[in-house]
Amino acid sequence: MANISIRNVEKSYGALNVLKPFSLEIEDGEFVVLVGPSGCGKSTMLKILAGLEPASGGQILIGGEDVTDLAPGDRDIAMVFQNYALYPHLTVRQNVGFGLRMRGMDSAEITRRVNDAAQVLEIGPYLDRRPKDLSGGQRQRVALGRAIVRQPRAFLMDEPLSNLDAKLRVHMRAEIGALHQRIGTTTVYVTHDQVEAMTMADRVVIMRGGEIQQIAPPEELFQRPANLFVAGFIGSPGMNMVRGMASGGRLSVLGHEVDRRAGRDGPVIVGLRPEHLRIGEGRAQFSVRPTLVESLGSEKYVYFDAGAPYRTESDSERSKGLIARVAHSGPIAAGSELVLGYDPDDLHLFDAQTGLAL
Amino acid sequence: MTRTPLQSLILYAVVILTLGLILFPVYWLLVTALSTTDKLYALPPKFWPVDPHWDIFARVWEAKPILQWLTNSLIAAVGSVALSMLVSVSAGYALSRYSMRGGAAMGMFVLTAKMLPATLLVIPLFSIFAKAGMIGSLWTLVIAHSTLIIPFATWMLKGYFDTIPKELEQAAMVDGCSPLGAMVRVVLPIATPGLAATALYAFVLSWADYAYARTFLVNAPDNWTANLGITTMQGEYVTYWNDISAAAIFVAIPIIVIYLFLERYLVGGLTAGAEK
Repeated sequence: MANISIRNVEKSYGALNVLKPFSLEIEDGEFVVLVGPSGCGKSTMLKILAGLEPASGGQILIGGEDVTDLAPGDRDIAMVFQNYALYPHLTVRQNVGFGLRMRGMDSAEITRRVNDAAQVLEIGPYLDRRPKDLSGGQRQRVALGRAIVRQPRAFLMDEPLSNLDAKLRVHMRAEIGALHQRIGTTTVYVTHDQVEAMTMADRVVIMRGGEIQQIAPPEELFQRPANLFVAGFIGSPGMNMVRGMASGGRLSVLGHEVDRRAGRDGPVIVGLRPEHLRIGEGRAQFSVRPTLVESLGSEKYVYFDAGAPYRTESDSERSKGLIARVAHSGPIAAGSELVLGYDPDDLHLFDAQTGLAL
Repeated sequence: MTRTPLQSLILYAVVILTLGLILFPVYWLLVTALSTTDKLYALPPKFWPVDPHWDIFARVWEAKPILQWLTNSLIAAVGSVALSMLVSVSAGYALSRYSMRGGAAMGMFVLTAKMLPATLLVIPLFSIFAKAGMIGSLWTLVIAHSTLIIPFATWMLKGYFDTIPKELEQAAMVDGCSPLGAMVRVVLPIATPGLAATALYAFVLSWADYAYARTFLVNAPDNWTANLGITTMQGEYVTYWNDISAAAIFVAIPIIVIYLFLERYLVGGLTAGAEK
């Protein structure tokens, strides 16, 4: 196990800068998740960390040792790939033991370690099968087995759950979490799924366009997003964004005024999470006519239009309008008037020009 | 989807007709070998000799250095396979995996060599081999055949390597392999069907050659290949077609045996790219 220090690592393909200077200190035993939309540079960063792609600049230290120019096999890391990358011509036993054999370990020790890993991951019955004879979940366990058997200084995981179906993904997510608790190896995990990031990480690194947007524990990301992108990315459904005007400690939003200090006067973007809206409760209240009501059984998604003056650019991405996520409480009809309320302290305020949190 | 009886009938009729067209020359080769010279030109033709001369095989085997010709063909074919596979595997892998400046253009240029007819290359190759003092050596065939095999084999293998996920090599490198080690330990074993299909293509192309052998080896009887040797059995005034047919059957046997052994790899190798 080791700490990882990433210092100003960047990656360019000619004039195209896919990863802007990236710095991150990862503690020994920490579980860090890199998350962001496709093309944000998270997988590139992981490959650079693994040594599978050279960095255009910067420095990487693992356990205090400069590994920037070392080959992947010399970095003492293990990686789990999105498509498992199991060797199809080898049995599960040979797959798991491959890395140990490459390191010249004696066969008795390889057998012992493979059996230990098989026991931890419950893949013992499949050791003599080939990957093609395994289900997706079993293959994923073998891929994890191949990583843990080496007892490396760090695990790198590149969207390891994205090929699994929804139910199995939830199950394996918990298993990876439990595995990390048990063996405590420093882990860098890449995903585009914010739920994985929020549930598994000690700290989350949110990326966009090759740049870090925010580094924080999951709770902090949710409670104090650093900018509009993070606010919109974290949370499901995403945060509602409307235009507002701050003036003298008062905030004008959605046709009413509330007591809320923005730090400065002028136009702002106001964020309000769908779950912070309640029917007929809250210090601030306003009427809407729902355009659509979706029932999810235990709760409802009530969609409504903010009205032209309050719409933001992000509304065009969410064609159904703003959302209130309310507890299931009697029928709500689209088109009939509904009073929604919230606590002004739950509002998030962002600079209308820069998008940074105020 | 189930077929109607009529559809099945048409399907079987087409398959049988196609098989008949393909196999008739082989069957006629056997009939010719087993017939006596005077029966060969009989009209109407006999579709199976009344008195098949099975002893012709032993007689031709003793009269002509068939074994030596087959050995020479085998040396040329194995040499061509070895040389062309060494080059094609490396080139195909590089084209598949590494982005090089002008790599795509280089790959297309390699393929243009395949577009030239083999006979067009005979004269320049003869000139080169003559200057190198190699005329009469089996090495001329190994090199000449490889020039024909390598372009196509390179592209065939590149296509096969493209179907193998890069993550497998990346996993192998994280597990401690060098790039070459990842290729040898992971990619090549997975590519076995593709390698077998390509090797078979190379072997057959070399084995079937006549033009190059005739040009480079005609004055070196000890190095004659089977195809070249058989043509020398044609007499100036009389040609014993039954002897030639018997010798031709000896030449065909190794190819048939190899096909029977490698058939499953060949089919797998040719269709693997389509499945992805």
